[in-house]
Amino acid sequence: MATIRLSRGSARKGSALLPSANRLAQFGCVLAALACWQLVSISGLLSADLLPDVPSVAGSFVDMLTTTDFWQAMRHTVLDALRGLVAAICVGIPAGILCGLSAVTDRATRVLVDVGRSFPPIALIPVFLLMWGATGTTKWVIVFISCVFLVLVQAQYGARRIEPMIEETARSYRIPRLLYFRKVVLPSSTPSIMTGVRLATTTSILVAVGVEVLAGISGLGEELALAQQYNESALAYAYLLAAGLLGYIVNEIAEAAERRLLKWRSAASGN
Amino acid sequence: MSVTPRTLRRPLAMVWLPVVLFVVWWVGSAGSTSLYFPPLSEILSTVWSGMRDGDMAAALGASLLNFLVGLVIATIAGSALGILIGENDRLHSALMPLLNFVRTIPPVAFVPIVILALGVGSISKILLIAFGCFWPVLLNTITGIKDINPTVREVVRAYRTPHRLRLTRVMLPAALPQISAGLRNAVALGIIMMIVSEMYGSVTGIGHYILQSSQNFEVTKTWAGTLVIGVLGYLLTLLSMGLERLCLGWYFQRPPGRLRLNRRVRQRSKENR
Repeated sequence: MATIRLSRGSARKGSALLPSANRLAQFGCVLAALACWQLVSISGLLSADLLPDVPSVAGSFVDMLTTTDFWQAMRHTVLDALRGLVAAICVGIPAGILCGLSAVTDRATRVLVDVGRSFPPIALIPVFLLMWGATGTTKWVIVFISCVFLVLVQAQYGARRIEPMIEETARSYRIPRLLYFRKVVLPSSTPSIMTGVRLATTTSILVAVGVEVLAGISGLGEELALAQQYNESALAYAYLLAAGLLGYIVNEIAEAAERRLLKWRSAASGN
Repeated sequence: MSVTPRTLRRPLAMVWLPVVLFVVWWVGSAGSTSLYFPPLSEILSTVWSGMRDGDMAAALGASLLNFLVGLVIATIAGSALGILIGENDRLHSALMPLLNFVRTIPPVAFVPIVILALGVGSISKILLIAFGCFWPVLLNTITGIKDINPTVREVVRAYRTPHRLRLTRVMLPAALPQISAGLRNAVALGIIMMIVSEMYGSVTGIGHYILQSSQNFEVTKTWAGTLVIGVLGYLLTLLSMGLERLCLGWYFQRPPGRLRLNRRVRQRSKENR
């Protein structure tokens, strides 16, 4: 028993100490996944429309990168997602803090926020299409509605979660409201707000692509849907990969920003 | 008698603003002749008649069936694979980059591919809903298993707790809060996948109902369907939260914090030796 545990422990340490072996395993996993994909598509288990083979997707992806259509679509998706996201942040953070600060507003808005959070804004597409047509406005407004509640709820949590002791201390010293807001409310709710912003960032891309697919508004989603309609599923998969890469990069940026902005937090807790 | 105002105060504090907004919408839209903003009274009566006559109820039923089947598949597959990956350190470190990439592909982007390849029937809908719900469940299960205090693992190993007991009495209960958080995200994402797939190509379902009516410029019906989806989303969220409270009462009764949870788990593993 003892020896088994020892060897297990050392094996775990070994994999942590040898990043190159770990990298190799990760690379192996990606290769294995690609091999499975290729095997399934060759075997004919799934039709080529559903799963085209790897080389043709890779070829389409490389070809796609040289077309202006792709970069135009990318620009539309990113800009509209960004516009909705920024609007959501500008509205969601103040509204969330306001809702979370006092028990009265907190209770009054609870049902509304819960409904808004669980409402799928994508369902509004037909209504907005009637009002604005297949334009960027429709897209960014839906992105805004999807993101604003994520930010709002997290800001509300953050403002609600101020430690009672700190709150009481501030009150007994009669700290002015503005100073209290700047030095207590904001710092203690930032971690939670940043989580909301990160979630909203990934959501914004997801919703933007979804709206494009459904409403035919120019962007990556529309190109993808068109490619599949023209039976070019390799190209559709290339756009899918591009959308995934975009989501991945955006997520990495949001995580890096969160870590950077919250550096003081780990430093403070380390002391 | 004197108790009533007190017990009423809390719900009243939660309800007054929604009621005010509802009244504002009702009164504000009462005389509306605009094509895009029909009076709320008409929208509600459309909901009522649609539910009674059955065209909306049938659409809703078809949607919900697909949704539930997809969610169950995703929950089983996601939590089983999540436990497997969370338990195995090497598998975890080798797979995570791949999973993190696949997760970031917007699941709605699969909608045209799957529907054009598999048709507009239920199978493609269920597949898409299950795919959307799978990721939050999987990733949250992995985190839940990973976050179990190493001491708990050591204790379980020291007592040579049998595998099945370890899984059902230690690992699952400890990861359950995280899994159910994932499940709540899955519900939200599942509804989106349900509606998108029905709007993209379908012959039935509430998403199809909304799209169809808007294409026929029956805006009242469009609003009615949209309202029903909103209520449905809210009810499903309430339901999942209620289930969570029911199953995780032991977790919510304690002040939040990992230490408490682990003490409980440790007690359980001791009981089971």
